[in-house]
Amino acid sequence: MVGQVVISGLLAGSIYAMVALGLGLIFGVMRVLNVAHGPLLMLGAYTTFWLFQWLGLNPYLSLLVTMPALFLVGVLLQGTLVRRVVDAPELSSLLLTFGVSIALVNLAQLAFTSDLRSVEYLTGSFVVGSFAISKPRLAACAFAVAITGASFVFLRSTRLGKAIRAVSQSREVAQVCGIDVQRIHLLAFGLGTALAAAGGTLVAVMVAIQPEMGQVYTFKSFLVIVLGGAGNYPGALLGGLFLGLVEQLSSLFLTAQVNEAVAYVLLVLVLLVRPTGLLRGRV
Amino acid sequence: MAPILEVDRVVKRFGGVAAVNDVSFALEPGRIYGLIGPNGSGKTTLFNCITGVDRPDEGQIRFKGQRIDRLKPHRIFHLGLGRTFQVIRVFPELTALENLLVVTTSDYDEARERARALLARVKLDELADEFAGDLSYGQQKLVEFVRVLMTDPELILLDEPAAGVNRTLLNELLDAVRQLRDQGKTVLLVEHDMKVVMGLCETVFVLDHGEKLAEGTPGVIQADERVIEAYFGR
Amino acid sequence: MKRRAPIALLVLAAALALYPLEATGYGLRVMLQLFMWIALAQSWNLISGLTGYVSFGHVVFYGTGAYASSLLIVKAGLPWPLACLGGGVAGALLALIIGWPCLRLRGPYFAIAMLGLNEVMRVVVSYYEGLTGGGNGLSLPTLDASLAIYYAMGLVAAGVTAVAHAILTSRFGLRLMTIREDEVAGEAMGIDTLRYKLYALVLSAIGPGIVGGLSARDQGYIEPISVFPLIMTITMIVMALFGGKGTIWGPVLGATVLFLFQEAVWARFVYLHQLLFGAIIVAVVLLMPRGILGVLQQKYNLPRTI
Repeated sequence: MVGQVVISGLLAGSIYAMVALGLGLIFGVMRVLNVAHGPLLMLGAYTTFWLFQWLGLNPYLSLLVTMPALFLVGVLLQGTLVRRVVDAPELSSLLLTFGVSIALVNLAQLAFTSDLRSVEYLTGSFVVGSFAISKPRLAACAFAVAITGASFVFLRSTRLGKAIRAVSQSREVAQVCGIDVQRIHLLAFGLGTALAAAGGTLVAVMVAIQPEMGQVYTFKSFLVIVLGGAGNYPGALLGGLFLGLVEQLSSLFLTAQVNEAVAYVLLVLVLLVRPTGLLRGRV
Repeated sequence: MAPILEVDRVVKRFGGVAAVNDVSFALEPGRIYGLIGPNGSGKTTLFNCITGVDRPDEGQIRFKGQRIDRLKPHRIFHLGLGRTFQVIRVFPELTALENLLVVTTSDYDEARERARALLARVKLDELADEFAGDLSYGQQKLVEFVRVLMTDPELILLDEPAAGVNRTLLNELLDAVRQLRDQGKTVLLVEHDMKVVMGLCETVFVLDHGEKLAEGTPGVIQADERVIEAYFGR
Repeated sequence: MKRRAPIALLVLAAALALYPLEATGYGLRVMLQLFMWIALAQSWNLISGLTGYVSFGHVVFYGTGAYASSLLIVKAGLPWPLACLGGGVAGALLALIIGWPCLRLRGPYFAIAMLGLNEVMRVVVSYYEGLTGGGNGLSLPTLDASLAIYYAMGLVAAGVTAVAHAILTSRFGLRLMTIREDEVAGEAMGIDTLRYKLYALVLSAIGPGIVGGLSARDQGYIEPISVFPLIMTITMIVMALFGGKGTIWGPVLGATVLFLFQEAVWARFVYLHQLLFGAIIVAVVLLMPRGILGVLQQKYNLPRTI
């Protein structure tokens, strides 16, 4: 029982972690809460679906399309819209990305209708001993781990990655060190969006695709950031896994419907008790 | 006379670093004190601990004998301890007059009169109905200064009052501070401008790397070798 | 101008009061809804416009009011006017309970917490099926009270606007604004910001609570999805932003313009309409963050209490 929960939890958590890292990058670098993060994930899912539908493209291969494509979308969003409110009161960027998220969801409704879609590529489970491991979940986890791992290598070891971390800590100091902050903003937003897109692609194989599918991911990503601490990128990983575990665990006791509320309740609790996160981070 | 403020072995850490490390001093009422030290020595953190913005990890802070280190800033203010900020924090979309009015809970008309009088004292009465955000830097500084005086606090903490202020304005400010002292108030200011500190303060505390390095009259401090080292390097 | 304003308002009030004599059923309905949106946008303005704390889940007070009031009618047999006031009380209580912890959070965190709250309430209402009928909804005894509800909605809209006026012309209002301008400085100047934020949130929840009850009574049937929809929060926000948040007449203006336009033009195209709202929000934030009235205030040097 518990073993199954742990496995399912980690599998689900790895995706939360990756998507949340995307949100965390944007928040850490620009202090912008990207409410449109979920809808961007949704766009990734739809892209994967259409590529599968029209070209028969292997959804996991479509990562090579969705990630760069949505990276560009993210850069565009930042360059044209978000850039103008980065220095405004936080309220403005919140409302702006909120407006963008509404626009994206409804564009999707108009373009794709709210018919449920799915990518029937991988189904079924491996049975290992007394555990059932869902195949698509395992594949998703594997890719999520790979992508997240690559992201961390990028952040740790490359010049741009270090620049991102520098700007996350202090924009002024980074500028003084000769870092082109505007470029870093574009990069961070693009990367954040790419990670959301990756989440959408991986999830497309497992869940029903519809325009509103992303909302819950915005929220959960936010929860993960709060759990791990704003600006604390490794914290996002742990936060994601933690959320995955908690959700699976509580599903043993609660009905599916009520289980939806677990994330929300958890968020309110954490915000009240330790807004700086379970690990150290800045509020 | 009992000290009006006692800082008692205060420690404040951020992450692993102690921004304020075992600092103690006491302020006697009716005098002007200075707090100096190189950048990063912990002056603003100490101010924040005294005014309730941050909570000390260890130690106590007592105002008129009462512990204030666990109180919220607004409670501390109402006990009679006011402060200004290093970066100006006026309310930009409120007029100069309104900036002062929000502070008190006393009768509206009484408050208005008092506010106008205070603005007049710093020659800003003409601009009372201008939005604070539209005023010049120096004017905003003055508004922030008199705003703190609305409830007649007994201890006033000034965070870099001379920063970015021109000569004439500075002299007005300094005169105002001396007037406060003559009225029996206590003032503690953080300052980088040594001339201001040496000319105004009766006692000076020196912080370096979060620790109290020295305490004494301006003359003594200026001659203290450790202070010179702290400022000009080892 | 100052002396003519109250007269103009009286004339307007009289016109609106007499309107039902001339109006068709449809016309009455439209005005009734307009009053509702004015009340909602104005209520949102009380917390978000004045204190700067954006409530992304404000519809939760509407939904709670709808359920509280409907339950009072169905289970306790209360006459609907009283039940609707009960809805307002329920909204205020929820605001108090949730505000006490959540208002300690900074801006973005509070916004998301409120968004989450809306979802939690929806789930809670669905869960307690025995009481609320869950996903099957709750039906009220049939009653055609459109006319009375028209006046009731009008009164609430006027009431909330009057409250906005009272706040914006008082020191209480100034203190709320310091929270928006610089909360740290406000605290340092002796303002108990938590308490003031709480007052504002509670005040902002009463209107939606009552209006939720009135709507429920008018439609005769409610279910979780219909009374906790995100689109209502979005609409409230767009209306207040467009007209001018932080002003008195801004939300009224925004609600009127957007609602009438919506009714006349695009209400039939649901997704297009929502898309437009999203675009309007983006446009307002980028181009006129203070809304129409804000722009006018700056251009013609109008007083803040507009």
